[in-house]
Amino acid sequence: MKIATDILQALVLILGAPLVRGIVALLKARLQRRRGASIWRPYSDVLKLFSKEDLVPPTSSLIFRVAPVVLFAAVVCMTAFIPIVHASALFGWRGDLFLFVYLLALGRFFLSLGALDGGSAFGGMGASREALVSSLAEAPFLLGLVAVAILSARVDIAGMVGWTLQQNFFNISTVHILAFTALAMVALAETGRMPVDNPTTHLELTMIHEGMVLEYSGPSAALIEWASAIKLHAMLALLIALFVPWGMTETNSWDSLALALFFYCIKIGLFAVLLSFIESAVAKLRMYLVPDFLGVAAALSALAVIFTMWVKR
Amino acid sequence: MTLPEEYLRAREMVSYEKCPMHLVYVKTAFALVLGALGVLVPLVLMVRRGRAARGLAIGLVIGSNLMGCFVAALCLWRDIDPNLDLSNFTPFPFKLGIDKLSALFLLLICTVATPVAVFATSYFARHYAEARRNWMWAFFSLFLLSMIVVVAASTGFAFLAGWELMTLVSAALILIEGDTTERRHNLFIYLLMMHAGAAAVAASFFLFLPYSHSLDFAAIRASAAAMPSAARVAIFLTAFLGFGAKAGLIPLHLWLPRAHPIAPSPVSALMSGIMLKTAVYGFVRFGFDFLGGTSLWGGYLVLLVAAVTGVLGILYAIAEHDLKRLLAYSSVENIGIIFLGLGTSLIFLSHHAPLGATLALIAALLHAYNHALFKSLLFLGAGALSDATHSVDLNELGGLQRRMPVTGAAVLVGCCSIAGLPFFNGFISEWLTFRGFLAGATLINTKAQVILPLMVGILALIGGLAAACFVNVFGIALLGRPRSAGAEHAQEVPLGMRAGLWMLGAGCVGIGIFPGILLRPLASLAQALVPGAGVPEETINIAREIPYAAAIVLGTVAVIGMFKRKERLARTWACGLPGLSSRMQYTSTVFSKPIRFVFARVYRPDRKIEQIPADQPYFPASISYQSVRTTSYERAIYRPFVESVVSLAHRLRRLQTGNIQVYLLYIFLAIVLLLAVLRFQR
Repeated sequence: MKIATDILQALVLILGAPLVRGIVALLKARLQRRRGASIWRPYSDVLKLFSKEDLVPPTSSLIFRVAPVVLFAAVVCMTAFIPIVHASALFGWRGDLFLFVYLLALGRFFLSLGALDGGSAFGGMGASREALVSSLAEAPFLLGLVAVAILSARVDIAGMVGWTLQQNFFNISTVHILAFTALAMVALAETGRMPVDNPTTHLELTMIHEGMVLEYSGPSAALIEWASAIKLHAMLALLIALFVPWGMTETNSWDSLALALFFYCIKIGLFAVLLSFIESAVAKLRMYLVPDFLGVAAALSALAVIFTMWVKR
Repeated sequence: MTLPEEYLRAREMVSYEKCPMHLVYVKTAFALVLGALGVLVPLVLMVRRGRAARGLAIGLVIGSNLMGCFVAALCLWRDIDPNLDLSNFTPFPFKLGIDKLSALFLLLICTVATPVAVFATSYFARHYAEARRNWMWAFFSLFLLSMIVVVAASTGFAFLAGWELMTLVSAALILIEGDTTERRHNLFIYLLMMHAGAAAVAASFFLFLPYSHSLDFAAIRASAAAMPSAARVAIFLTAFLGFGAKAGLIPLHLWLPRAHPIAPSPVSALMSGIMLKTAVYGFVRFGFDFLGGTSLWGGYLVLLVAAVTGVLGILYAIAEHDLKRLLAYSSVENIGIIFLGLGTSLIFLSHHAPLGATLALIAALLHAYNHALFKSLLFLGAGALSDATHSVDLNELGGLQRRMPVTGAAVLVGCCSIAGLPFFNGFISEWLTFRGFLAGATLINTKAQVILPLMVGILALIGGLAAACFVNVFGIALLGRPRSAGAEHAQEVPLGMRAGLWMLGAGCVGIGIFPGILLRPLASLAQALVPGAGVPEETINIAREIPYAAAIVLGTVAVIGMFKRKERLARTWACGLPGLSSRMQYTSTVFSKPIRFVFARVYRPDRKIEQIPADQPYFPASISYQSVRTTSYERAIYRPFVESVVSLAHRLRRLQTGNIQVYLLYIFLAIVLLLAVLRFQR
């Protein structure tokens, strides 16, 4: 039963991802007084792309074709770490937070290679910028997670969530506030949202992620789109799981799981509102201000680690 | 803590293996390895020229390396410790012995040298004429011998002899490749720094003498505990300095990016993959085995130097577009990661936390092994690329994955490993280092409680930058369109080279998915070095769980791969223009520009713009632009030092008057002085 729950959680993360993306897009549209597309639109986009053919540059190698698959596989593996309705996950082993972060790096590494394999200037542009953003985002990401890990004296994500569930919401510590802020900033950078990257841009001077995937079409593009949707969903779910897990169940009965899923939907909805609000209210940062943005995140997460010294455990 | 069952079982298995018969075989095998590499191979090559002799020599090199693997594996997995006493043939006590630490490094040398030798078989054949090839192989064999002597030595003299031979033979290998003024200059810096380092290493041995009365390792070990703390500190510092120079810790790294690129690729692979590790071996031998840890600030010193080395090493690597220089700087970075683990381990030791010390030590040793595998793979890859394209400048390569898919895939494995991506070996050791830092949080009420977890951020930064750096390497060198005629007409390299590459590649993937193979012997080795520690559960954990994660990823890839996809070739979008040329692609220099821009303070380039004619700034006939990086060490540290040495030498020159009476006076004064010293000593 536990395994069934864990697989279910991973499936919710994978299959629900386009929906989250659709909701964010719709909310953004409404905030900007547009009608916006249906929230199911990302599903039909992915399905449509899957039915088309792949256009492959004649100068490219196998890497171009393999990259989206590796990205997708790495992101799927990431979903096996995050509890959403039950404080457990498929991978609940000690130290998996490092593997979690590095799986993200694995996907990104291959996507950047795929971008360079296209042989155009845009791919290089996107990959080069992504290299800057991601290499600076890794430190605050890990430090933020480590702060929570030290606080809970657990090194698996599911274990940290289980510990947080036992705490009182109103008893929250400085460490949590600092780590949450840092990780939220990192999540914006990692998933290519405003103010670091504009997911809806098609202007080459501002592209990071879009620049990398410009050359992809058909099923490859579908995999990349789906993977980045899962990445967004997984990062939001990670923030929820680490900082507001209350509402998760600790029993394995169907009704309690359904209730927990209901709570999860409300929480992810609130996060989607927050995200679309940020994206509408904030302008994209100039490329060379992004290191400052991530520097602030790094400082906050380092402070979070330092403050664990004074928090009673 | 209670030991897990499998470890207890593994320990029981070793006890009956102590029978003397095995020992004799292992001893003989080890003596054969030494004899073949040190005597037979050079002799065969000197006596006879020609195919058959060379074939025999190559066979002997590869065969003795395989036998060395076997010996090392026996010593590491079964508790055999063979020793050879060659003191009868030498003027000083020359003993070799293989304990577990030596066995690990012997395994490292032999497992890496075998594929390198296989690669070199076809590489040397394509690049050198007959006579030079014989010299190459003779020195190649001696180089391996010297490194085996270093790690297997059990007296100070044997160690120093091997250490010196190692430097000289590697210099000879560099010199055979070619001889120009610039190469000589670089080689001179290499020899100078190596000898300064060797002096420090020798000093740290001799500092033991007043207490141990012999340079036998057993005597040194026994005397170390009773030594006064000042002597311990002095030994620790000189050893750190000496081995740090060999390992290439910043600011002693100056020789590394000069010497490695000018060596032939297989030799660079040996130098970067193995020779640097002998310094790690020496430091572990001194810091852990002899001294049994150091005072707390010593640990922090190592940690600080390692952090600086790691971050600056990778930043310099990113800025390079000469592939071999880039790889040399990345070796500096990886040495930084290894010493991060060693420093952490020393800090744990001085806080009396043996379990954490074991964990960090295992991480460092495993990273040393992993780096040997993937760095030799990448240097061999660079050799293969330059063989096919006649260039190691990233900005002149491109599009090679299509032209040489087997080599390219092996290089990809190397890049993934060095970037620390999961399911490749670099990840395992970085993961263990991370866990070592995190374990620091358990040292309640010490500074380490916060400092060690903060180092997670440093290692994450290093890892992130390394990933960026090797996206650059693989993406620019092997993907996209060819940027030069050489790359355009590149062809797959011969079988020997491909085989060498893939032997190393298989090792990277094997350890990356099944790290348990090495972690078990490493755990028992670390227990021998850190008294009173159990097996850290992290090492068991990762060995169990990584295969599952790999199964999920590979399974997903396989499932997606099963779907048949329609494919059509279509030219890359060129914004409506007729077509893309290779000049429209990003080059390595442009790729790294954002990172260089953000870290501009680190590089502080010297930029020089020259205009001709100078008096007409708006209508120049020609402009030249030059940017030289990473000279700040020379300016800040080395140049003042060199200048003071030179001026001192000038002043000392006054002693040399050329007048024989004055020299006689010197001799007389020296004798008087010596007599006086003797008089007062009694």
